Amino acid sequence: MTTEQEEDLRLLRDSARTLLERAGGTARARRVRDDGAGWDADVWRDLAEAGVLGVTTPEDSGGLGMGLSAAGVIAEEVGRVIAPEPVVPSVAMAIGLMHRLCADGPDLERAISGEITLAVAWQERDTRGVSDTIACRLEGGALTGSKDWVMGLADAAPVLVIAKGSNGLALVRVEGDATGVTRRAVRQSDGSALSALDFAATPVEVLAEGAHVAEALGAAVADATALTAAELVGLSAAALDLTLEYIKTREQFDKPIGSFQVIQHRAVDMKIMQEVAEAAVREALGTMESATSPLTRIRQASRAKARACTAAQKITREAIQLHGAVGYTDEFDVGLLLNRALVLSAWLGDAKYHRRRWLEARDTEEAGK
Amino acid sequence: MTNWNAMTDAEFRSEVRGFFEAEYPEELRHLPHRPKFAEIAHWHVKLHAKGWVAPAWPAEFGGMGLEAAKLLIFYEEQQRYGVNRGRDMGIQMVGPLIIKFGTQDQKDYWLPRILTCEDIWCQGYSEPGAGSDLANLRTSAVIEGDEFVINGQKTWTTMAHDATHIFMLVRTDADAPRKQQGISFVLASVDQPGVEVRTITTLAGETEFCEVFFDNARTPRANLVGELNKGWSMAKALLSFERIFIGSPSLAQNALGQLETFARGRGCFSDAAFCDSFAEVALDVEDHAALYSRFADQLKRGETLGADVSMLKIWVTETYQRISELMIEAAGPDGGTVGPLQIGNISVDVLASFYKARPTTIYGGSNEIQRNILSKAVLGL
Repeated sequence: MTTEQEEDLRLLRDSARTLLERAGGTARARRVRDDGAGWDADVWRDLAEAGVLGVTTPEDSGGLGMGLSAAGVIAEEVGRVIAPEPVVPSVAMAIGLMHRLCADGPDLERAISGEITLAVAWQERDTRGVSDTIACRLEGGALTGSKDWVMGLADAAPVLVIAKGSNGLALVRVEGDATGVTRRAVRQSDGSALSALDFAATPVEVLAEGAHVAEALGAAVADATALTAAELVGLSAAALDLTLEYIKTREQFDKPIGSFQVIQHRAVDMKIMQEVAEAAVREALGTMESATSPLTRIRQASRAKARACTAAQKITREAIQLHGAVGYTDEFDVGLLLNRALVLSAWLGDAKYHRRRWLEARDTEEAGK
Repeated sequence: MTNWNAMTDAEFRSEVRGFFEAEYPEELRHLPHRPKFAEIAHWHVKLHAKGWVAPAWPAEFGGMGLEAAKLLIFYEEQQRYGVNRGRDMGIQMVGPLIIKFGTQDQKDYWLPRILTCEDIWCQGYSEPGAGSDLANLRTSAVIEGDEFVINGQKTWTTMAHDATHIFMLVRTDADAPRKQQGISFVLASVDQPGVEVRTITTLAGETEFCEVFFDNARTPRANLVGELNKGWSMAKALLSFERIFIGSPSLAQNALGQLETFARGRGCFSDAAFCDSFAEVALDVEDHAALYSRFADQLKRGETLGADVSMLKIWVTETYQRISELMIEAAGPDGGTVGPLQIGNISVDVLASFYKARPTTIYGGSNEIQRNILSKAVLGL
């Protein structure tokens, strides 16, 4: 990375941080959770106006054309204050798919400007958990099947769906009021919802169909995975900061508990976890940015998510322990971070899943060399 | 004289790699033990003829004069190819100290002898009562006329039984108000009546460490380096570059490569639980390397490293240990077997690699001491 690129990222980080802090920081996450509103429409508009949603979209399609490292910077800042807006799902999945598959359509511009918020339904459940095939079928312009774990779907909003067409995978758009749709919001530990959707001969608009859809989906999922990792890195940083502040001020036995060696060593281990995660995730995003092979992108995305999940879970759980009893109350922000870490770790695959996928990708990639 | 620093990193790397591959004796690659000088003397002659014995020393003293970025490349290539560092205490420790704090006479006399290995040095820092608390050292040096008279005991003195000289921290003022004061840095001959060297047998069955006993041993006053009673801060000044070197990924990377070869040979990768453990340590190594690059970049930009560089040492040594533990696991019922295990044409000494990983969390400032430092200097606790 050149000094100029680093400077660009620094400026981007500053403006994202300022915007999110002004919007209310972590306190906003608590308020939105308690209101059950999903997210703030005003903040969503501010983010869109700042160009955040089109950060990775090429300039000729109306985005900033900045690449994945820049999106990572934004995701870290989103994670730091647990911003409830669906930044990563929108940037990586909906907008990422549209700029790859249907850049000329009207939705891309509207999504980048924040006028509409589109969620992407692509994962399916079978008896074991995530299915590795797409069974949802597109026949005669109608969609039938089930989708699960859809992040960032607002009530009555349209949704983009990946389905199996006659000619490979298809990306279709389902209107918010389309017939034959059952929506179920599944409440998550952080107060957000993942949606499960059933379609029965639902009429759709086909946006793209063919072999290139699977390719674009792979790229979008890899981006979303790596950017979720970046969000977890920001979240872990916040949990670490809160904990350090707490152990420096909380007194027992007439001294700050941070003066006890057992606490100090645990805090150091959290710090090391955090630094390794930050370095690894940023390196992975940088590698993905310049990678041409899909396998390299998968490998780096899995590496990033595996590390970020491990670090975030360890750090948020240690954070609760070092806060002691108050860490177990809902009054302290550290619990919000723990709850968010649970959701982001589970979404798109946990550490174990991604370590396995990383090993497979590595072996395949090395064997091909 | 070649100006190595003027080369691009890639050119320099290829130059170093080419030399090692062409000239380094095959039988000395990845030596599992620390060799005595006689075992590697033929390599040292080649290295000396090339002028590469002291990569970090300024060219005027016979070194390569490498800047930090090039120096890192040199060591990376050295470790990658399994080039033994040789008896480099003189090069790494005492030479730089003499260059920085020594008199002209000391430079003229000692430095050329270090380069040729005419003198072979060992480091006399630790004592039975001064390990992590090094400043607690008691070995005394009392001035008598033109000499210091030395009494006491040093321990964990690596390869003292194959050394001609020892550089040591000694107490020269027992009444100093703080124990870090009153410590001096002196040079002494090992080969004299008042010095006795006994080897210590390690868990690995090796005798690389020694105890060194001083009973009215003598050394000329001229062998004091720097000012009297100022040895502590001098010794600390040396540690800056060592701190990133000791946290470099290569030990763990080499061990991981060895584990993978061995585990493939034994069919361990058909076991999902083993694959999970393997992927975990492999990613621990890869992600550590990302953090290491960040610090290396800092050095390359000419910045000095802060105390936070200690994170590298903690992570890499603990990862290295987990890799060596997995190796034992992969060996299954052969996990306690002494000597190389043969699988097809691969031969791996799993116990040796397990033992070799143990002291890494103890030496160079134990990982607990490193955590103390990080806690204070980085977290402000």
